[in-house]
Amino acid sequence: MPPKRKAPAAAAGAFKVGRTSAKSTPGPGTPRSLDSSMMSDVDHDVNEDLDEDVSEAQKQREALLGDEADEFVDKWAITGTRFQKTKETHRDAASIYFGKRDYSDLPLKPDHHNRPLFIDPFNGTIVLERFSPLSEQATDFLITIAEPKSRPAFLHEYALTTHSLYAAVSVGLHPQDIINTLDRFLKTPLPESVYKFIMECTQSYGKVKLVLKNNKYFVESVDAALLQLLLKDEIIGKLRIHGSDEITTSYAPTMQGLVIPGTQNAAGVHQAGLKQAEKKAAGAGEAAEATNEHELYANLNEEDDEDDKEAVHAFEIPDSAVETVQKRCLDLSYPILEEYDFRNDDVNANLEIDLRPNTQIRPYQEKSLSKMFGNGRAKSGIIVLPCGAGKTLVGITAACTIKKGVIVLCTSSMSVVQWRQEFLKWSNINPDDVAIFTAESKNKFSGNTGIIVTTYSMVTNNRERSHDSKKMMDFLKGREWGLMLLDEVHVVPAEVFRRVISSIKSHSKLGLTATLLREDDKISHLNFLIGPKLYEANWMELSQQGHIAKVQCAEVWCPMPTEFYDEYLRASSRMKRTLYAMNPRKFQACQYLINYHEARGDKIIVFSDELYSLKQYALKLGKVFIYGSTGQAERMQVLENFQHNPDVNTLFLSKIGDTSLDLPEATCLIQISSHFGSRRQEAQRLGRILRAKRRNDEGFNAFFYSLVSKDTQEMYYSSKRQAFLVDQGYAFKVITQLANIEKTPDLAFATAQERRELLQRTLVDNEKGTEEDVETDDLFGKVRRGRGAKGRGVRRTAGTLGELSGGQDMAYIEQKKAANKNLKKNQKHEQNAFFKKISREKQKGRQAKA
Amino acid sequence: MPRAIRGVMIECEPAIKSIIIHLDSVNHDFIIEDCDETHLFVKENMMPLLKAKLEEHLKETYRPEEPLADSE
Repeated sequence: MPPKRKAPAAAAGAFKVGRTSAKSTPGPGTPRSLDSSMMSDVDHDVNEDLDEDVSEAQKQREALLGDEADEFVDKWAITGTRFQKTKETHRDAASIYFGKRDYSDLPLKPDHHNRPLFIDPFNGTIVLERFSPLSEQATDFLITIAEPKSRPAFLHEYALTTHSLYAAVSVGLHPQDIINTLDRFLKTPLPESVYKFIMECTQSYGKVKLVLKNNKYFVESVDAALLQLLLKDEIIGKLRIHGSDEITTSYAPTMQGLVIPGTQNAAGVHQAGLKQAEKKAAGAGEAAEATNEHELYANLNEEDDEDDKEAVHAFEIPDSAVETVQKRCLDLSYPILEEYDFRNDDVNANLEIDLRPNTQIRPYQEKSLSKMFGNGRAKSGIIVLPCGAGKTLVGITAACTIKKGVIVLCTSSMSVVQWRQEFLKWSNINPDDVAIFTAESKNKFSGNTGIIVTTYSMVTNNRERSHDSKKMMDFLKGREWGLMLLDEVHVVPAEVFRRVISSIKSHSKLGLTATLLREDDKISHLNFLIGPKLYEANWMELSQQGHIAKVQCAEVWCPMPTEFYDEYLRASSRMKRTLYAMNPRKFQACQYLINYHEARGDKIIVFSDELYSLKQYALKLGKVFIYGSTGQAERMQVLENFQHNPDVNTLFLSKIGDTSLDLPEATCLIQISSHFGSRRQEAQRLGRILRAKRRNDEGFNAFFYSLVSKDTQEMYYSSKRQAFLVDQGYAFKVITQLANIEKTPDLAFATAQERRELLQRTLVDNEKGTEEDVETDDLFGKVRRGRGAKGRGVRRTAGTLGELSGGQDMAYIEQKKAANKNLKKNQKHEQNAFFKKISREKQKGRQAKA
Repeated sequence: MPRAIRGVMIECEPAIKSIIIHLDSVNHDFIIEDCDETHLFVKENMMPLLKAKLEEHLKETYRPEEPLADSE
């Protein structure tokens, strides 16, 4: 289509508009901060001296970078002043009910009831009516151009952001198409501000690319006029390498020929034995294409599908100038983006890796990957999939597509081992090529390229390095990686990422997470450090398709008995939390639910953040429990029993079980106390039952109960926590009264006398030796406390040495005979018949000898 | 001579009663008589103040009204 080819003129126009505000620094898709020498070190000069300690100065610099990023994020949002006109006021009698959100002055189109979308002209929020017949098409469109915010049953909310628009452009949508389609679906005419926003974002985004080809950096653009403009610029012009005096023209890679392994498409290719030919097409195709321009233009005319092949112009710049050029381009409001043209990279050795032939990836995994490899190159970004939906496989498939050196970063040494196993399970890679870099083992791969699996802390901790790990780090830093896989990206603070990214050079980065959420709202920094959110799965859709379990969520309200509530009102905030966790009514509810679900044959996990109540509940109910200081061997035994022993159906877990614990047997989850208003914890905990093995049984439902003490702060936190899951489309049922709870046999704390005793015990136990529930297992556990906790800093308390060393703890468990220990004992008695036989024979032999 | 105080009978949930007693414990200027589990006899002239204080207290436990705050 000719008009689209005329982009240069329009772009130049926008460029001038962009410059009217001198401070505008629009963001690239995978943006880099203006002054961050650290961050832009990523791909070019090898920074040898980065292995020094993280000094104060560096920390300050990181803080500064953080602030800058904040500023940056704010400036380039649609809410920023650059897109908004002052609002003309239009008030009538009803205006007060809507406050700032009075949109009555937006005219409706005459046939608005046939159109499914509303848009907020001030923040780009799009509301979709799911019940409209057009909603399917509209959803498909919105997924490409906007980020999903909230997806309950009837009204979905999407947000138009710069990143999402960029993603749309990079898959080949043209700004005009976006605007036309949006306008078609909208109930109101497209607001001026949104129009301007879309035009500006899409025009400046993705026009200039920085491509690493044959280890040389090229500045690349689809339109030659723009490159000329850059070359005329006094700074960039000088930096061009003059060996290649002409702007080289080649053709943009297309999705053509690139096959993501494991997809239907790939299966077809394999069957037809066309793999060879396909490879040739991918590799040699472009070279051949470049030979004859005329032919290609003819080709172009023939193929009216305009995003099929595009001429690309490029000039080379030296490695050392990359950062300068990037800064300059930002100043010129043409942010540079980075993509990795891995198919034409013949400098870095290819890795022999492919998915096993029987591996089929699921449709949504394919969709997410096609976003990453949308134009035949690897884009950096984040893929969001619910827990248990196969994030690992997505990562592995990405690695199999790129087929270059891969570095995988995870949160704990446990998951390092898991990742390696998954790699071996799903792909045909040589086991020697998957190396592990942790405190215990520091292997290198045998060949000249391979996969390294390590943890964030191994890579970022620069203090007290052993010789081996220092050598290993130098090795990691010294090479170019094709892909960096970042597991559980949400847990890692932005500073850690800056350190990782600055020390290890990789061509593309892929972040994986289930919950792209942080209570401190630093998630936007991730966009900025790794890349935009490429794909977010719809939880409800996945559970309908049976990829994850269907879950019934319920919030159970437990009234506080008067004596508890009186005490609650007087207590300190720390004690308050203990009190609402120890609420005897809650205890009864828990007991009731456990009985009920055990009778149904469910396996139950009970979560408690409060260690004291965790122990009290577990001991009183005679169930097994695991918390931070439970030994590794005991943990394993308890987990084994939970999985295989039909007598152990309930497991109490502290927050160490929140993440990365894989228990597909669990089908019911009860939460008795939790971490303030953490939405992430709620979602992660729900994730424990999403992978339930029995999920595909007819009519199977998993259950998620959250027990809440009425009239306490818990109510407030609870509603906050649910926000994320509600956005994903889960509905929480509120249960105010459990039927027939008083008929439960041996109901705990049924009499007022017992309740008073419990209260006294709780108060006394928690007054002396306040148990600190510091959990050491969570690697980056130092999450900033929820907003509700005000003024809780360091506290001094008197205590005995025994307490500090945990001695008192031990004595306590010994006295009460933990259920864990009982289990152990029982196990000793119940020996397998086979071993019994062996021991009998042994004894006989001994007797015979004697 | 007998002294008379005008009062109001309040019927409420035990939890609310606990909160009122808690508020009263500072100055003892609200409650005249604690009748039973769900009833309190309270000075009439203190009612507006009591209502305000109670409201304030309840804010802690319930999510304050912030409609659509997330969309911003």
